[in-house]
Amino acid sequence: MNFDINTIVYLLEIIVGGLLVGIGVHFVPVGGAPAAMAQATGIGTGTVQLAAGSGLTGLLAAGLMMSVTDNIWVILASGAVGAGIMIDATMLTGSWIYAYAVGAPFASAKVTYDPITGWSQPPYISPGTVGQGIPTICFVSGTIGGMMGGLGGAMIYYPLYLINGNAALSAMFAIGIFLVNAVLASWNIQGTIEGFHDPKFKKWPFAFRACAVASVLLAIAAVMITGGA
Amino acid sequence: MDAFSMGLVAAMGALATVAGASEDIESDIGSQSNPNSQVQLAAQVGNPHRIYNKAISGEPPANALWAATAAIVAYMLITAFQMPAFSALVIGASVAALFNGVFSMSSYFGRNASQARFNQWIYLDIVRYTTPSIMAHAWITSFCIATISYIMAYMLPTPHPFPMPIIALIWGLAVGAIGSSVGDIHYGGEREFQNRAFGCGLNTMLSGNIVRKAEAGLRNSVDNAWFCTKFGGPATGMGFGLTVFLDNWRSTVFDPVTQAPYAIAMGIFFIIVMTLYANYVEKSARRKYGPYPEYKGDVAA
Repeated sequence: MNFDINTIVYLLEIIVGGLLVGIGVHFVPVGGAPAAMAQATGIGTGTVQLAAGSGLTGLLAAGLMMSVTDNIWVILASGAVGAGIMIDATMLTGSWIYAYAVGAPFASAKVTYDPITGWSQPPYISPGTVGQGIPTICFVSGTIGGMMGGLGGAMIYYPLYLINGNAALSAMFAIGIFLVNAVLASWNIQGTIEGFHDPKFKKWPFAFRACAVASVLLAIAAVMITGGA
Repeated sequence: MDAFSMGLVAAMGALATVAGASEDIESDIGSQSNPNSQVQLAAQVGNPHRIYNKAISGEPPANALWAATAAIVAYMLITAFQMPAFSALVIGASVAALFNGVFSMSSYFGRNASQARFNQWIYLDIVRYTTPSIMAHAWITSFCIATISYIMAYMLPTPHPFPMPIIALIWGLAVGAIGSSVGDIHYGGEREFQNRAFGCGLNTMLSGNIVRKAEAGLRNSVDNAWFCTKFGGPATGMGFGLTVFLDNWRSTVFDPVTQAPYAIAMGIFFIIVMTLYANYVEKSARRKYGPYPEYKGDVAA
């Protein structure tokens, strides 16, 4: 492979993409298994799973856009919007279940008043639980997180495709780099978080450093392997 | 955009809705994913049960495996043996369902055997009549997703650059993520704990105290599927259908080559509408149910 200024730009793009994924995961309100039993606030699944589900849907949208244009802004925006649609559809239909099947009002256990709507939270927390459902603040935070994941996935895919011109290879590498960063961030938040209003969110610099190291290594490997093929 | 491609997008939306519903019901019959923690716990806190217990992995990787298996087999049959697409997709989904059956049964035997010390039995009749239901639903899910991938890779006016198996892998991850975030709440939050007052989250003290008796006899996983088909399954289908339909609709109606900014703006519009709707759902739940009467704090409702 030829090592030139473009390679450095590609490396930087992959690293920034990985960091976006790592930080984006902190925004996604996931309550893990307890949330599936309406025992904790957030979406009732694992962090990595939801981030991967939304971020990779964004990757599909970005991949489609990249096959017809090479305008980076359109590709990145398309990835972010595709991921945003997926995570919003998930949270919306999940809210139906909490509201109409479990029959519980939504409440966050981490704030007294929802910073966006100003609605009080503690009176609506079911006894013996730490909140339930997806309040507006969590919904907005999740949308931001999902879109950051999609943006990150697209930003990883873009340089890889420019290097090797092979959509399948680039997509597999992008999925791999995405998952590594999502898992690192998930360890940092210990599985559950409510969004950017959660005190755990302040731990993001740790994930930032870990994701930076991992992304640098992965970017070098990805650029060399796919470029040398 | 022409009528044919619009029809294809509509077909993808419909297939995705079916895939989402069957995915959720498959996980409910098998008791996979998050609510399985309670099924697993039940025997340990003295409640042995007749509910199928398979947690092969989280739902997204599991469904990514089924969907990608179906798509790989179909892709191989189409490209190497020139088989008609429909037959190839049917055979692919059948192979995925067989994989699912093997994993489900080994998971059931392994998990229940490891709980022998808690008096949890392995019920062979449960294995005999529940496993085929799980496999059948896995067949529907993987067939629908492999078909969506086929349409995206070969039939849409702007064919997707990813090969069919990778598209199926990504949609499999997405459908698993949605099934685990949406439909599982109906199973875990409501069906497993119908013995507590309606309208509250699960009190931590009740963990593992799942309902084990049915309308007649002992409850099994097929009863759970009957219940979850009423709301959890369709809602999951709606979530995945919305994702596939809205995402492909905006890039089909607006030509990605010349009208890409419109496609992006339309996506942002969808996001804003869904956020407002979710806010409405929250408001209506608060208004209808009100604060919990046990609340003793000083923050006003």
